[in-house]
Amino acid sequence: MPTPTLTQSIVITFIQCLMVVIFVFVVVPLTVFAERKVLGHLQQRLGSTRVASGHVGFSGWMNRRMWKMGKVPVVSYWRGIPGLVGDVLKLILKEDVIPAKADKFVFFLAPSISMVAAIVVFAAISFVPGTFFTFPTWFPYLGGLPVSGGISDINVGLLWILGVATVGVYGIVLAGWSSNSKYPLLGGLRSAAQMVSYEVPLTLSLLAPVVLSASLNFSEMATRMAVGMPVWALIPQVIGFLLYLTCGFAETNRLPFDMPEAENELVAGFHTEYSGMKFGLFYLAEYINMTVVSALASAFFLGGPWLLPFGLQGLLNPYLPGFLSWFAAPHAIFFVAKIVFLLFTYIWVRGTIPRYRYDQIMAVGWKYLIPLALVNLLLAAAIRCFVV
Amino acid sequence: MEHFIETIGRNMFAIFGVLALVGALLMIGARSAIHSVLGFLFAMLNIAGCFLALEAEFLGVAQILVYAGGIVVLFLFVVMLVEMSKKHEGEVFQLQSRYAVLAVAGGVALFLGVFRKAIFGAPSPEALVLRPELAKGLDVAHQNAQAVSRGLFADYLLPFEILSVILLVALVGAVVLAKTERV
Amino acid sequence: MNKFLRTLLPADIAKGLSVTGKHFRQVFFTANRRKVPFHIVSEYPEVPAKVQPRFRGRLTMLKDEQGVIKCVCCLACEKICPTQVITIEKGKQEGRKMPYPVRYDFEMERCIFCEFCVESCGFDAIILNHQFELAAYNREDFSLGTEGLGQNMFEPSHVGKFSVADD
Repeated sequence: MPTPTLTQSIVITFIQCLMVVIFVFVVVPLTVFAERKVLGHLQQRLGSTRVASGHVGFSGWMNRRMWKMGKVPVVSYWRGIPGLVGDVLKLILKEDVIPAKADKFVFFLAPSISMVAAIVVFAAISFVPGTFFTFPTWFPYLGGLPVSGGISDINVGLLWILGVATVGVYGIVLAGWSSNSKYPLLGGLRSAAQMVSYEVPLTLSLLAPVVLSASLNFSEMATRMAVGMPVWALIPQVIGFLLYLTCGFAETNRLPFDMPEAENELVAGFHTEYSGMKFGLFYLAEYINMTVVSALASAFFLGGPWLLPFGLQGLLNPYLPGFLSWFAAPHAIFFVAKIVFLLFTYIWVRGTIPRYRYDQIMAVGWKYLIPLALVNLLLAAAIRCFVV
Repeated sequence: MEHFIETIGRNMFAIFGVLALVGALLMIGARSAIHSVLGFLFAMLNIAGCFLALEAEFLGVAQILVYAGGIVVLFLFVVMLVEMSKKHEGEVFQLQSRYAVLAVAGGVALFLGVFRKAIFGAPSPEALVLRPELAKGLDVAHQNAQAVSRGLFADYLLPFEILSVILLVALVGAVVLAKTERV
Repeated sequence: MNKFLRTLLPADIAKGLSVTGKHFRQVFFTANRRKVPFHIVSEYPEVPAKVQPRFRGRLTMLKDEQGVIKCVCCLACEKICPTQVITIEKGKQEGRKMPYPVRYDFEMERCIFCEFCVESCGFDAIILNHQFELAAYNREDFSLGTEGLGQNMFEPSHVGKFSVADD
């Protein structure tokens, strides 16, 4: 296999970045749409089934067409999808209001910090260990070169993800402060306190995989957690998964823990004063963060690009018959499927569990999750010490 | 093209260093306290970039994790809560400026005193490296998280633990100072 | 100890998730089939909406089997109406002992659909039908009478194409 020159490797990295951006901008709108649908189904509704009324616009055209074809347009299940285009158009075209006494520079900076911190995390996430695909030889300039499964699989990938994700809190806090308004400020303060305190159990629950796999490299950790673990490692993995998911919900400000934007208390929280595409960036950042948290959970607990979760793949692989060998190997499609399932879980939990009170959130974080995460870490360390 | 990219890659440290200095100047020069904090954040992120340019990934990422993610957030928190009006802020800072100059001069003197040898002296014959028996089975150039941890928990265990005790003392002190008797 | 364990195990959360998960499964797999609708919403403009039997729609006058107006102008509805939307003019008709409403005006603009008029009627001469699409473009369309141009008191409104006409 030829080794790429410096320029070629930069071009390849650029292509990888493009692929990640495309992935994100495909997954995020679909999540937004799925959120409407799934929340509807959870409440025995159909979710969004049409864009405008039955008579005007695109859906009206579809309606008339189906009537003309002699069919009752009952099959309206997917007709909410054009609404996504409408949403994006609205966000782009809407007037961008800046409050009179707002700190303009910080007001402008806050959503971009949120967005950048959310998307830069993908630099260290590897979708599949090793080579993702190889360019065919006829390809101009890059023929025959391999493309690895992650943009940059650095040695401290996990720390990079955690570190950059913490920068995201600035977006929310600064947005709250710079709006020069009471509710955003309260939302920003709440969010700062919540995110800083939930960072601790989140990191502690991720330390269990670190201890078990003895690495900080993303793909190495995913590989060892999926196929290199003894039976005993199941227990800390399952507990750690639940802990991590809980803290991940809190970190992304999703519904059981959506203190920064609790509607009935704080209007819309930190983005009350934001409109147009600035609000859109916050919105995007929230969903990208959800994707990142899902990616981490699926990589370290649910087996990443392997099929079976919790390290079961490594235990069952020796007994797998030969014709099923496709299922024994890592594939990016499994990884993406797990991410999608966890995104579904986000919405599922949102439709099920009501919001906590603020003091309850703090109590859960400090009194239950941190001690549990510590116990889990001890368990993992014991397994690492005595079994592996 | 190749040459250009290589030149940029070689001078990454200088670029990040200059940006960090710019951030520090912004921090000092900014009128509003929040802008100061933002300048500080910018400087910290660029220092992390400096570490990354020197291939010390662990230190670089730890810099982001601890400073940018933890400490500056707390600064921001405090500054947001202790909102001073512009005028009052100016008065306080002008009152302090005399002492601040003294403190900075003292700090620079102390810094030069400690790092005199490192800055002006001849380059030391050997870099600070792990003891060979600690570095056994370790590719130090590529596994610097492990290398740092071995150094920290074997050679420098006592200073490390003393540092953590100091932090604990600071924590207890803060609680004692801040706590008022409940009536 | 029991409470502590119950705090640690997310059993309640799992129970809640299973309930909503069941709803999701049922609705998701039957969303396009109209025979087994598990969802509780109707696909309204395309499919006529069904309302509950006690729904209070627009005021309608009834006729008996011979096609004669049942109203006898007792003015009970006019008196009890809180917003005074009903105006009745008494009159006589050949071959009819009871008084006959020459004019029965109903100003739907101000009607609050309280159904007091129907309750007060001793002859079951008026009902509130099941129509809910009552919007119109002109103010005049809201004044209904026994012989109107647009809507009159006997037929369902022509405005609402998609709701249930009557039962």
